[in-house]
Amino acid sequence: MTAELPRGPAIRCDELSLHLGGARLLECVSLHVAPGTLHCLVGPNGAGKTSLLRCLLGQAPHTGRITLAWPAAPGAVGYVPQTLDFDRTLPVTVEDFLTLTTQAAPAFAGVRAASRPAIDAALAAVGMGARRRSLLGRLSGGELKRVLLAQALTPRPALLVLDEPMNHLDAPAVAHATALLRELRAAGTTLLCCLHDLAQVRALADAVTGLHAGRVVFSGPPDAVLTPDNLLRTYAGEVRT
Amino acid sequence: MSALLDPLRAALKAGATEGWLPAALGYGFVVNAIVCALLLGPVLGGIGTMVVTKRLAFFAQAIGQASITGVALGLLLGEPAARPWVSLFAFCLLFALALNFTRHRTQMAPDTVIAVFLSLSLAAGACLLPALANRADAHLIEAILFGSILTVGDAEIALLLVIGLVAAAVAVRWFNPMLLASFNPALARARGVRVVLLDYVFVLLLTLVTVAAVKIVGAILVEALLIIPAAAARNLSRSLRSFVGWSVGLCTLSCVTGIVAPLALDVRVPSGAAIVLVAAVGFGLSVAWRSLRRET
Repeated sequence: MTAELPRGPAIRCDELSLHLGGARLLECVSLHVAPGTLHCLVGPNGAGKTSLLRCLLGQAPHTGRITLAWPAAPGAVGYVPQTLDFDRTLPVTVEDFLTLTTQAAPAFAGVRAASRPAIDAALAAVGMGARRRSLLGRLSGGELKRVLLAQALTPRPALLVLDEPMNHLDAPAVAHATALLRELRAAGTTLLCCLHDLAQVRALADAVTGLHAGRVVFSGPPDAVLTPDNLLRTYAGEVRT
Repeated sequence: MSALLDPLRAALKAGATEGWLPAALGYGFVVNAIVCALLLGPVLGGIGTMVVTKRLAFFAQAIGQASITGVALGLLLGEPAARPWVSLFAFCLLFALALNFTRHRTQMAPDTVIAVFLSLSLAAGACLLPALANRADAHLIEAILFGSILTVGDAEIALLLVIGLVAAAVAVRWFNPMLLASFNPALARARGVRVVLLDYVFVLLLTLVTVAAVKIVGAILVEALLIIPAAAARNLSRSLRSFVGWSVGLCTLSCVTGIVAPLALDVRVPSGAAIVLVAAVGFGLSVAWRSLRRET
């Protein structure tokens, strides 16, 4: 699972700002993510975490500069969105969905033999191998999240961007996902991840950045920056004197 | 096209004359109609699955009804009444592009924008129709609204063949990214999919197919043939493969049955209406089957 993977890039954001429809979503955000580390973004709803990820993915018209410093040729970028927006009565199975992202041949023609190993490995990695024939619309929120994580593993990413990947997961699934993210990091993948559970952040992250109202409040190793003062400033927007 | 179809028509006529094929197949216009159905069914059935998935049923209806205005414009500009293709395709493609552009640029709900354009196009068509009073007869208006598959010629068949091939090429090349974009545009963009461009490609393809089908199914009912077989297929399927397969199969069966059954029963009804009624029966059966499956 970890053999011959491309190494992840370092990420540098300088003075990143994003204004949409008159709203300031990000304001002068500067951030550095070391290569091959797991960097978490925390903050209340509307703090700008997802906006920052969208800028990084090149999907938002920001100002400022984002630099991805790849150690060699750029590798694959995986993305785990918060959710999917689809008609839950559609007859699309878990395997169909992964086929969409794994092969060029149309998914309605079936899974190509060349695509099957990658799909099998991705489903096994998130513990969803037994649900491959299940309809996507019949999955629970947690199972759907695991499928979204599985699609991000094909092809194996050198940079993995995750938007609240632990939402809706039960305790065993969180443990499974945590082990998977650690495994990817050990293989050299750079991971940037929005999380709400600070205990998970402490357990997983090499570094963490707190955002409030589109601005960086703190950034550094979890043990050093997840202090009561910083958390109060991040989640309540208050400064304790 | 005649080089391909003439031998087929001759062979079927011989079979009908000798009595081992139904007598109706001895008529060239019936053979034309069945060939059209065999071309149109897979195209509408296949595209219908994407229309249902992307929730564009109302959009398809707007395009179908815009074709009334396109035909009216063609007649006013002096195009032949049977084939006002330049105005029809040009107006509908411009209509679709303007509608999609507005849909992307506004923050309004898509169905609101589509309803505005649909009303606009119908109003324009209604204004033009009185000016056509001395240029078009009631049969022509009926054919535009409800289809007239028994009057199709080799030119229409050639047009359907070309559009069918284009649709197949687009489906093979871009089905996966189009479907992925309908699930989550941000995820699709992260995987390098040009979401907006592909949306325009699909809308243009949908417009071409819809307009080409107007002659056969009619402007009022063409959207039904995009939606009903796909909706029935959704009830019968448990995978993407069976969804597309059932939709193509049901749509083709509806087209062929809707043409052959009125001839066999000697009932005079517009082809579009007959085709859609057959498709609706299929949908009803699919609902019943789904209900039974839930109970067992």
